[in-house]
Amino acid sequence: MIKFEDVNKWFGKLHVLKDINLQVEAGEVVVICGPSGSGKSTLIRCINRLEKFQKGKLIVDKTPLHDYGINLTKLRADIGFVFQQFHLYPHMTALQNVTLAPINVRKINKKDADRLGRKTLSRVGLADKVDSHPAQLSGGQQQRVAIARGLAMSPKIMLFDEPTSALDPEMIGEVLDVMVQLAKEGITMCVVTHEMGFARQVAHRVIFMDEGQLVETGKPDQFFDNPQTQRAAQFISKILTH
Amino acid sequence: MLEGFNFRIIWEYMPFFLEGLRNTFLISIVSIFLALIVGTIACACRLSRWKLLRGVSIVYIESIRSTPLLVQIYFFYFGLPTLGFRVPELQTGILALMLNSGAYIAEIVRAGITSVSTGQIEAGISSGLSYFQRMRFIVLPQALGVTVPPLLGQSIVLVKDSALLSLISVLELTRCGQVMTSERFMPSEAFFTVAFFYLCIFFCLKTLADWSQKKLIFREAY
Amino acid sequence: MMAFYFQRLLESFPFFLKGLWMTVAISALGLTFATILGFILGMMRASNKKLLTWPIGAYVFVVRGTPFVVQIFIIFFILPEWGIQLDAFPAAVLALTILGTAFICEIVAGGIKAVDKGQWEAGTASGLSVFQQLRFVIVPQAMQTILPPLVGQYVLLIKDSSVVSVIGVVELTRVGWMTVVRVPEGLMVFSLVGILYFAISYPLIRVSNSLERRMAVQEVRL
Repeated sequence: MIKFEDVNKWFGKLHVLKDINLQVEAGEVVVICGPSGSGKSTLIRCINRLEKFQKGKLIVDKTPLHDYGINLTKLRADIGFVFQQFHLYPHMTALQNVTLAPINVRKINKKDADRLGRKTLSRVGLADKVDSHPAQLSGGQQQRVAIARGLAMSPKIMLFDEPTSALDPEMIGEVLDVMVQLAKEGITMCVVTHEMGFARQVAHRVIFMDEGQLVETGKPDQFFDNPQTQRAAQFISKILTH
Repeated sequence: MLEGFNFRIIWEYMPFFLEGLRNTFLISIVSIFLALIVGTIACACRLSRWKLLRGVSIVYIESIRSTPLLVQIYFFYFGLPTLGFRVPELQTGILALMLNSGAYIAEIVRAGITSVSTGQIEAGISSGLSYFQRMRFIVLPQALGVTVPPLLGQSIVLVKDSALLSLISVLELTRCGQVMTSERFMPSEAFFTVAFFYLCIFFCLKTLADWSQKKLIFREAY
Repeated sequence: MMAFYFQRLLESFPFFLKGLWMTVAISALGLTFATILGFILGMMRASNKKLLTWPIGAYVFVVRGTPFVVQIFIIFFILPEWGIQLDAFPAAVLALTILGTAFICEIVAGGIKAVDKGQWEAGTASGLSVFQQLRFVIVPQAMQTILPPLVGQYVLLIKDSSVVSVIGVVELTRVGWMTVVRVPEGLMVFSLVGILYFAISYPLIRVSNSLERRMAVQEVRL
């Protein structure tokens, strides 16, 4: 479903992605973790072309991202992206946030889109908040609306960029619950996060990145209990002491 | 478009244009300087404790801001003689420019002073600083960053406003264009040259304003 | 003597009202065209495409760097040389439109650029086109930042419309200028002109002030 082949990216002189080779199968849930600045956000932002790279090949759902003239609209319509800062549209209600793309990109008519929107919002547990504006919602509720916004497009891949990092601790759980549910439904997910509990529960693989490189991958239990590399071990001990 | 453009005529009139340019410079500099004085006084009145001073300054500022500069120029140009004052056009023009920009400067200075957060002033009071010490060490240095860029902006406006003085026969840059047009029937050469000179002045002032914007802003760090 | 002139002035009052109406007409037309064009150009100016931003930037630079009176002279005297013969009224509306579009373009571009970048990313990630993002997500949010200076710009343009009097359009300022010949009480005549301008600008200034206040409150709540 997603295949990175020797992908390299530079921000000016800074080498942020170094020889990334990674494959994600359909239905897989992959957690990417690592210290800040390791390139994890940049990595998943390449998947839906929010970031470009200079060297290497990236194939997403049979679309080669390194070629010219690819249909970005179609690509992005099939990928849902959840941001750390939610980035909900403040001037629209939750329902309008969720239905904007289905109406204007998938060209669904408004009535069907509204029905789809309500269904998706109840899927994330917010059926009663369809007409609320983001400012009236808590952080956890806003992030769940953001997830619904991604889901309403029936994506093949869901990408999460540190979805709980900007939330107060008591709200992290409600968002993770939704993500666990999605993982169990079989959607392909790439999640950048430090939430180890989530990783252990549903991730098929954990990938550790440091300084732009993929340092170690493995099954969650294997990775957290028995890291193979020293850098991974250092990192895990640091987040454990929280 | 430019085939018929007569550069020789422009060269012939160049001393004339340069005189107009020089006059525009002088008018602008004198007016801005006077306007700064008027504006600061008006601002002080605006912020004072006495209702009378506040009222007078508010009436002054709002009348200027709600009426066009040209009307203000004509007001003095046609009005002063009826009061018995025989003021030459140049001085009348400078008076109008001074009062016009003075009102805008009063508001700019007021915004600058009120931009300094009350927390800062309270910190100063708590340290035992007097009113003047607080002004000197706390308020004015920070107000400067907020005030200087818009002041430079107002200077740019004033240079453009000075062009209206051509309508009361003051021999500044625009008037040179008008005179050359009426003497030679070559409005293109005349006014494109005039426009070019204004753009040069604008470019210099704008660069200065942008530079000051970057250099002089102090923000309270949270 | 003054009483006699005052009576003459009162008799001319309908003339002043006609001039006021002309000012309103020119301003309304100019502001409408300038708003439409200003928004279109502003959206282009806010993009990252140099092919769009440089020509627009050059246009804005020239318009902001030259006095309006010089622009009017260029439109009225130079366009005929290129075959475009315009009457005074259309020339005035055209000049005001060109002036207003440049300033409104900058206001709109500034408002669009002030919208959080994350909003663009969220829209892009959903597959929305740039135009769809502008229409549904960006511009509605930018309006918050745009409205107060936009209304302020309207007031400025109404005052600038006084300058079109130089090409003979019989708007309010020109009426004053023509009246002062027969009623040589410059103070009275132009006070009346000023009051009439005040009547149309003051409501707009109040709207602009209340918009600014409401915007500031919203920012604090965020």
